Amino acid sequence: MSKIGITTTIPVEVIFAAGETPVDLNNIFITHPDPGEMVRNAEEKGLPRTLCSWVKGIFSAIIANPDIDTIIAVTEGDCTNTLAMLDLFRSKGIEVIPFAYPYNMNRDTLNENIRKLEAYFGVSRKQTLEMKTKLDGIREKALLIDRMTYEDNTISGLENHISLISLSDFEGDPDGYEKKLDLLISKAKSREPFRHATRIGFCGVPTIFSDLYGFLENNKARVVFNEMQRQFAMPYKTDNILDQYLNYTYPYSFKRRIKDTKEESQKRQLTGLIHYVQSFCHHQIHDRELRESADIPVLTLEGDKPEKLKERTRIRIESFLEMLSLGT
Amino acid sequence: MQYYMGIDVGSLSTDGVLIDGDKNIIKSIILPTGASIKKTISRCRDELLLTDDGGKIEPVAVVATGYGRKRVEFADHILTEITAHALGARHLFPETRTVIDIGGQDTKVIYLDEKGRVADFAMNDKCAAGTGRFIEVMARILELDLEEMADIAINAGESVEITSTCTVFIESEIISLIADTHKIDSIASGVFRSIAGRIISMVSNVSGKSPFTFTGGVAKNRGMVDAIRKTLQGDIFVPDDPQVTGALGAAIFALIHVKG
Repeated sequence: MSKIGITTTIPVEVIFAAGETPVDLNNIFITHPDPGEMVRNAEEKGLPRTLCSWVKGIFSAIIANPDIDTIIAVTEGDCTNTLAMLDLFRSKGIEVIPFAYPYNMNRDTLNENIRKLEAYFGVSRKQTLEMKTKLDGIREKALLIDRMTYEDNTISGLENHISLISLSDFEGDPDGYEKKLDLLISKAKSREPFRHATRIGFCGVPTIFSDLYGFLENNKARVVFNEMQRQFAMPYKTDNILDQYLNYTYPYSFKRRIKDTKEESQKRQLTGLIHYVQSFCHHQIHDRELRESADIPVLTLEGDKPEKLKERTRIRIESFLEMLSLGT
Repeated sequence: MQYYMGIDVGSLSTDGVLIDGDKNIIKSIILPTGASIKKTISRCRDELLLTDDGGKIEPVAVVATGYGRKRVEFADHILTEITAHALGARHLFPETRTVIDIGGQDTKVIYLDEKGRVADFAMNDKCAAGTGRFIEVMARILELDLEEMADIAINAGESVEITSTCTVFIESEIISLIADTHKIDSIASGVFRSIAGRIISMVSNVSGKSPFTFTGGVAKNRGMVDAIRKTLQGDIFVPDDPQVTGALGAAIFALIHVKG
């Protein structure tokens, strides 16, 4: 059975309602036994060194998975390289369906774009909404895990990250994924709370470093807020698909993400923020805006290739945690 | 008398400072780190704690900083360079609001609040352009020693603009400039100005403000100090021995926090 590749969160309700299986290509890339090899492969096939490793990883994920014959590419509201990649995928014989989050948040435009997606997959709005109800139930469980992260302190930052980020495609199997969440909830309920003194918020794009969360926890700090990942859980309750994808902050103005980060920083009593930026990614432009707006100290980390934290980056994190622990 | 020791194990040099209970510097030492960090650390301690009559001082506490801080087995506490340089600079110049530290392989800008606590900092992460090693490489290409390079840069009538941002590319850019018959003194001045430009960007990133204190081994280079003074707006202090500021901060931390 063919799979539908996605490059970021899209109205996945439509895909499931059509009986198809979505696969987040980012997850295929980063969970590969050797994601560095996938980046190298893409470079050998001609993608430039000065291109985001996530894009190169996505490219290799498609090449390595011939069962993915269709991709939904977000042409507005995500990576600025997508349009060029779209041509590249088409040249490889892969069907590409464009989808756009309108930057001006125009409700009619978003409605029209979702309708086009529904039409492609032969799905009615009613079917989309029925699937939304089912998926919202699973998202609720992921949001419970999120609350357990910062209220009960029984979920680690990495568990939080994985639980939320996988909601882009529900690992292609909503029922199976729900069981995984249930298991984690039940396991965490019998745990003693983590006692890390420093509460960190993580914002930006998902990190390409494989050991960041663990390194923080070994240094008496824990991530209790994963900003973008939480958005994948559609944290604002809605009864229609348009409000859901208009409230979702990631594709629109960065100011809404800053507002969300500030509100959650206060609610979760964060001591500091880590803003992760990816080398050669347009999101780096937002760094200054976030640093100037945040009410708590911000450490900006930049990652390029999939790898463990290098010594210099570890020193910067240790310095940041020391700064927070000595008080600013 | 009670003594406190700070040791800063850097990539190029290992520096030690011994202070008394009134924060007076009793002795300081700078050694090349070399390939055997362990031996250098031991030597630094032994020489620093040796008294004039051949005896040995027993410090109340030892705090280690620098990239090799975790290798100092006899340390009571370890501290990052950010905190160490902030404490050292603030002790020497209490009005300091921003510390600029340029070491062998890294550059740091540390912004302090009114009370002298670290409020923000920036460090070079992926690139060595603008560090002490970078200046050494540039001096070699210009066939000058560091002193000569500083002298001619200070007295240069003009500065050549250097546009590359990578050490390797700057090297080839400078070779091209020499081939284009640009004057060596204006190229040397351009090198220092390009580093100062990077510093300004880092200062801006942390919202740094005057007064500035310039620390680290590169602050001994008069050409670099001159370029910073010509580029940055505000008061700039340079310690008499800027290279030991981190070790001094570590010693002060030992006095205040470890056995204070």
